[in-house]
This record gives sequence, C-alpha cells and structure tokens, in this order.
Amino acid sequence: MADVPDRIVVKRHRDLDGRGHRIWYRRGVLSLLVAFLVLGLANVFGQRPSGVAAAADVATLELYAPSRLRGGLLYEARFTISAHRDVKNALLQLSPGWNEGQTMNTIEPSPLGEASRDGDLLFTLGHIPAGESYRLFVQFQVNPTNVGRRRADVTLYDGATKLAHIDRTLTFFP
Amino acid sequence: MDVVLRAAFVFAFLFVLMRVIGRRELSSLEPFDLIVLIVLGDLVQQGVTQDDYSITGVVLAIGTIAALQVGVSYANFRFPRLRPLLDGEPIVIVQDGTPIDRNLRRERLTLDDLAEQARLQNIGSLDEVAWAVMETSGQISFVKKSGS
Repeated sequence: MADVPDRIVVKRHRDLDGRGHRIWYRRGVLSLLVAFLVLGLANVFGQRPSGVAAAADVATLELYAPSRLRGGLLYEARFTISAHRDVKNALLQLSPGWNEGQTMNTIEPSPLGEASRDGDLLFTLGHIPAGESYRLFVQFQVNPTNVGRRRADVTLYDGATKLAHIDRTLTFFP
Repeated sequence: MDVVLRAAFVFAFLFVLMRVIGRRELSSLEPFDLIVLIVLGDLVQQGVTQDDYSITGVVLAIGTIAALQVGVSYANFRFPRLRPLLDGEPIVIVQDGTPIDRNLRRERLTLDDLAEQARLQNIGSLDEVAWAVMETSGQISFVKKSGS
C-alpha cells in the first residue's frame, strides 16, 4: 500500500470514523431549507391578496389585499362598497397600520377629503346611490425597515353612523 | 444598524448554505454556475442594501461581511476543534487505484467525474492513482503511485 499522504488519517478521512453522522446534519439543514421554500409557496410570507367582507343592511364593505408582506414590496388594496340603500356621505376609516412604515403611492379615485379621526386616517367618499358600488384602489409600498404586525382595520361610516367594520392585521416579514 | 444586521444574516445564511450543499457544487465553475453566482450576488445585494444607495450603506454592508469573514478565518486558525465545522475535512475517495464507493456517494461523485478530474491532471487511468482526496475546497488532489 502506498504511503498515506501527510495529515490524512485513514480512519477519519477514508473510513469516516466519527464523521458518519455529519451527513445527517447536512440533510437536516437542507430539509429545513426546503420546508422554508414550501412555506413560501404556501403564501406564509405573502404577498398573495385575499378578500374579506363585512355585510350590513345598508352596505357591504369588501377588502381585497394581501395581509402578509415583505419589506420593499409594492401592492394594491382594493376597497369595494356596495350600497344596498342610499349612503349619503360614505366615510372610510383606516387604522394607522395602513400607513405606519408604508408609503401610500396612489389613491384612485381621489377621495373628496382626507382627515384624521382619533389617529385614524379618514377618507370622505361622498354619496353612493342605492344599488351602486364604489371601488377605491390604494397602491402601497412597504418600507424596508417595517417589520412586525400592525392593526389594519377598516370601518365604513355613513356620516356619524357606523355601517361595517373589518378586523385585519398586516404582518410584515423582513 | 439595519444594514449591518441584514449583512450579518446573509453572511451566516450563505455560510451555512455553502457548507451543506456539498463540495462538489463548490469546486466546479461551469458557465451555468457562473450565471447562478452572478444572479446570487444580485439577489443578495437587494436583500442587504435594498433601496439604500448611500456610500455609508455600502461601507457598512461590505465592512460587516469582511469582518465576519476575517472572524471565521481567525476562528478556523485559532480553534482546531472548530475546523471540521467551519471548513470541513478532506475525504479519501480512491486508494490504490480503487474508488471508495461509499465516499463517492457521499459527495455525489460518479466514476466519470472522477476519471475526468484525473484526466485534467494528466492521469489516464485510476490504476495509476495511489490516493485521491477530495479537499475541503471541493477540488480533488491525486497522489500517483510511485513509478507511475
């Protein structure tokens, strides 16, 4: 048998004495990585949009937007108000979580007015006749440093009367 | 602070990834591997600096990765017990002209791969090889039999 090269220990480097189990560490880490990718495919880390609705006698409020997001992503939130009866002065109130750590790029159509109500964002949408729908598109971008969970509730009012409310939380992944 | 943390996380992730994907993938640099490397670099940049176009951000990101690289290198030098973990260990894949199947399988190497590497070192037949060792870099070193 030829001389063993320097610093090569036959038992350790050929017979893998004491190293046999290491392959399982490698496979374990690779399995974790694959599991992470599968979770990504399953929308655990966003940004697939989903719909949620709150129905009332006067109107139905629907929100279609992703609830899980990552830093830097651009996304759209679509608010649809279907008036079953006349809504004289529709107001849409958004929790601060909609704006905290996010950039609001566009709102279409532009609301008649914008204001703050007890720290929440308040859009005045105006009159929605019975049987008609009002669709508001808001384009956002998540600031890269925004991480964690934030309340992003939506409430629909007709003047001072609360019509519908959607509980929602936005989760931001780094 | 955010850039430093991102850079540190990406460094740790890439380090673990490079350790687990196996040496075979690291040793070759085929045209496709080169493209993957470039794409990887671009994706890493986006994750680390994102929309930060400042010189400060670049210095922080590169400085973090360089410091961690020196840290790993020093730990590797200073603490021999960490070497198998940080750097891996060589593995014998041929002895006296006979391929060691179990070790080849472990490194996902075929006999064709082995023969190709031997040819690249002007070795026409594995019978001429006394020892072939897959090094921690992923390269294969061949020690010829005396007289070959």
